[in-house]
Amino acid sequence: MIDLQRHQLSAITPEFRIKVVGLGGAGCNALDRLVLDGVPGAELVAMNADAQALAGSVATQKIQLGRTTTRGLGAGGDPEIGYSAAEESLDEVRSTLSGAQMVFLCVGLGGGTGSGGARLIGSVAREHGALVVAFATMPFTFEGRRRMAQAEEALAALQSVSDVVICFDNDRMGDAVSPRAAIQEAFAAADHTISQSVRAIASLATQKGIIQIGFDELAMALRGASRGGSRCLFGSGEADGDNRAHEALERALKCPLMDKGKMLGDAQSVLVNVSGGTTMTLNEVQILMDEFNRHISDTTQILFGTSVDPKLGQKMSVTIISAIGVAPSAEAVRPIAHAQPAAMIPRAAEPEAEDPKERTADISYATTDPISLASPEAVAAALAANPLADDGTSNLSNVARIAAAKKAAREAKQEQMQFEPITRGRFEKSEPTIVDGQDLDVPTFLRRNLKIR
Amino acid sequence: MGKENIVIGLEVGTSKVCAVVGETKHDGTIRILGVGQAPSRGVRKGEIVDFETASKCVREALVDAEEKSDVMIGSVFLAITGGHMDAFNNRGAVNLPEDRDEICEEDFEDVQTSAREVSIPKDNMFVHSILQHYYVDGQDGVLNPIGMLGRRLEADFHIIHGVSNRIRNSVRCVKEVGPEVLDVVFSPLATAQVVLDQNQKALGALVVDMGGGTTDYVVYVDGAVKQSGSLPLGGDHITNDISLGLRIPMAKAEKIKVEEGSVVLGNCLPGETVTLKDETGFAGKEIEREMLHNIIHCRVRETFELLKRRLDTDNYLHFLGAGMMLTGGCSQLKGIQHLAEDVFGLPVRVTHAQTVSGLTSAFENPQFSTAIGLIKYAEATQPIRQRGFFSRLRQRIPFLGF
Repeated sequence: MIDLQRHQLSAITPEFRIKVVGLGGAGCNALDRLVLDGVPGAELVAMNADAQALAGSVATQKIQLGRTTTRGLGAGGDPEIGYSAAEESLDEVRSTLSGAQMVFLCVGLGGGTGSGGARLIGSVAREHGALVVAFATMPFTFEGRRRMAQAEEALAALQSVSDVVICFDNDRMGDAVSPRAAIQEAFAAADHTISQSVRAIASLATQKGIIQIGFDELAMALRGASRGGSRCLFGSGEADGDNRAHEALERALKCPLMDKGKMLGDAQSVLVNVSGGTTMTLNEVQILMDEFNRHISDTTQILFGTSVDPKLGQKMSVTIISAIGVAPSAEAVRPIAHAQPAAMIPRAAEPEAEDPKERTADISYATTDPISLASPEAVAAALAANPLADDGTSNLSNVARIAAAKKAAREAKQEQMQFEPITRGRFEKSEPTIVDGQDLDVPTFLRRNLKIR
Repeated sequence: MGKENIVIGLEVGTSKVCAVVGETKHDGTIRILGVGQAPSRGVRKGEIVDFETASKCVREALVDAEEKSDVMIGSVFLAITGGHMDAFNNRGAVNLPEDRDEICEEDFEDVQTSAREVSIPKDNMFVHSILQHYYVDGQDGVLNPIGMLGRRLEADFHIIHGVSNRIRNSVRCVKEVGPEVLDVVFSPLATAQVVLDQNQKALGALVVDMGGGTTDYVVYVDGAVKQSGSLPLGGDHITNDISLGLRIPMAKAEKIKVEEGSVVLGNCLPGETVTLKDETGFAGKEIEREMLHNIIHCRVRETFELLKRRLDTDNYLHFLGAGMMLTGGCSQLKGIQHLAEDVFGLPVRVTHAQTVSGLTSAFENPQFSTAIGLIKYAEATQPIRQRGFFSRLRQRIPFLGF
């Protein structure tokens, strides 16, 4: 899971092709945003049944779905029509998507074109051997139960054909903007969030890292999100200046889907990628991770990656991805989307990994043993050790590191089991003051999980 | 030289016991003759938990007060508080007998008794019934109904009650030492007597006394007490939080809270530290200032938010023309005024006992507001007391009504 590519830090290999597809009305809106924001090295394709809406899109490539089925109108909120429209234009879609190694599928679920076509488009992309990452938007609750049911059905179908599904909850997006903001601002904010996450994941996948993050990690971080009712946490921030580590993290936590890091405590695993220009120091990464650790619980897995990107110059950038399920059971933790990557990764990894065999071995660790991922200290130690290790011994040290990380994770877990710290200090023996189920004699900062150094 | 009327106010607080000796004059002013105090032990959250130790501290404070004021202390007014104190508003009503239509003093007692005909927990006792308003035959705004003609007298009361054994324990603790306890007074009521003037009570004001073990509050609207109570949270909790958070002993935590404590966040340089001096005065542990402020801020904000939630149940916060008066030891924390303004949305003033003369250093210290308030309270009730033939409970009514 960690591979050493210190000599080869070039960003995107020219033959690694990414296509971003916006499907349906909501998908195309998000895509338009992406066009404006720009995704380096990616081709953007808009697909819609509604010819008028498609004409309004600023994407370079456009495919009108179901020319005869809908005669240029939309799918009218009916997934059946959406499905047949997509089916009709399947050849066109196939030729457009051929040759892509990675397909990002942006889609708003609950309507016709998106709900109906998503599975077909996803499976076409799959046929070509591409990794499929779906960004699905769930409808607002006020749009009715029927639409939500359609969306959930479509989400399940989408999961069966995608390697990773990132699910955005529209209800949550509404929270992101102030109640006074105009409606278009709210939707723009939602599109912006999707755009940000597409770009972040694209760069995660294409950048070579000192500690590389792969799709197995991404799937792991999102495994809570694979079912309906779950919440995706996404945050990304960039900063420069003297205090860039702190500020970048702060900005990432301020992202609308992040809820200021409050929900992070509940996440089972969190993916954190730190990248920076050539001036980024180990110390800064440590500071950042220390600070980040305050927001998560002791049992949370951190899937940590770091990379150096000369293009960032003096900046540091942090990406945090996680998901919280409603009640993840041990079995449900491995949904379809999660089971796939082990098979998919080697293909994607070929152009970048020096030793695919080793990578697969590592991945099998990651997928078979949920606690094999490194604790923050172990990763920091690994990062510290990395520059010292030479290529010849790296395989060995890799294995040792994983073993150490595994041990650290287990130990940390045990510690958590042993004591439940309820500290009341001088009020230990006095009558407790309980208000709303909280013992007010316990320091406020402890109850609120503020870490104090 | 005749000292006109000596009154001693005694407060057995969580952090200190203080006895204030004051002289009340005929013109209603009071003069502080001396303040005795002793660090308190055996009191947690405003209630006595170690009887003997607390008694010793009371003795120390009283002896100190006697020395400073040159007065023999024979009787005291005792302030009581604690999370067990509770209050509610209720209306009492009496119909005048058929053969009489002029309201006389006896009817007051009856109306108050009827207001108390509500169920309080069986372990509790009534401490105060404070008159809010009279109604004669349904007509409101009656200030003094004696001599008025009417068929039906009604009155709203603010009734304060508490667990009787705990109150009696406080009284016993003082009696053990010697002096007679003339009356027990719920702390925030005493505090309000000197912190607010007549005008502020009429405009509406919230008095918050954030002491060592408890945060006591009282709300005045239209000159009458509408809400009062006590949260068992205070400066002790802040100290405890600091001690646990920064892993330093309580005594050091207390010292650093008093000397460096602030509730202002984001006001210090990154990495700014406070140096904790050890016993010999040499530099010891370094503490990050932001951390310290953060711990204090969290606790104080939480306390205020809890208080606001309690006050919100009756929605009087919108009627407080004179805003909020903050007193007690914790009111000396830096920036607490702005934090309170932020939480309550009211103009906030950090204040201390007003309208008294004598030892300036005593009444300008917000830590003594309650003890001085007791003297003012006594001054307000005493003229009747000297008449001597009414029951004690009845005497309070007309004078706490303002």
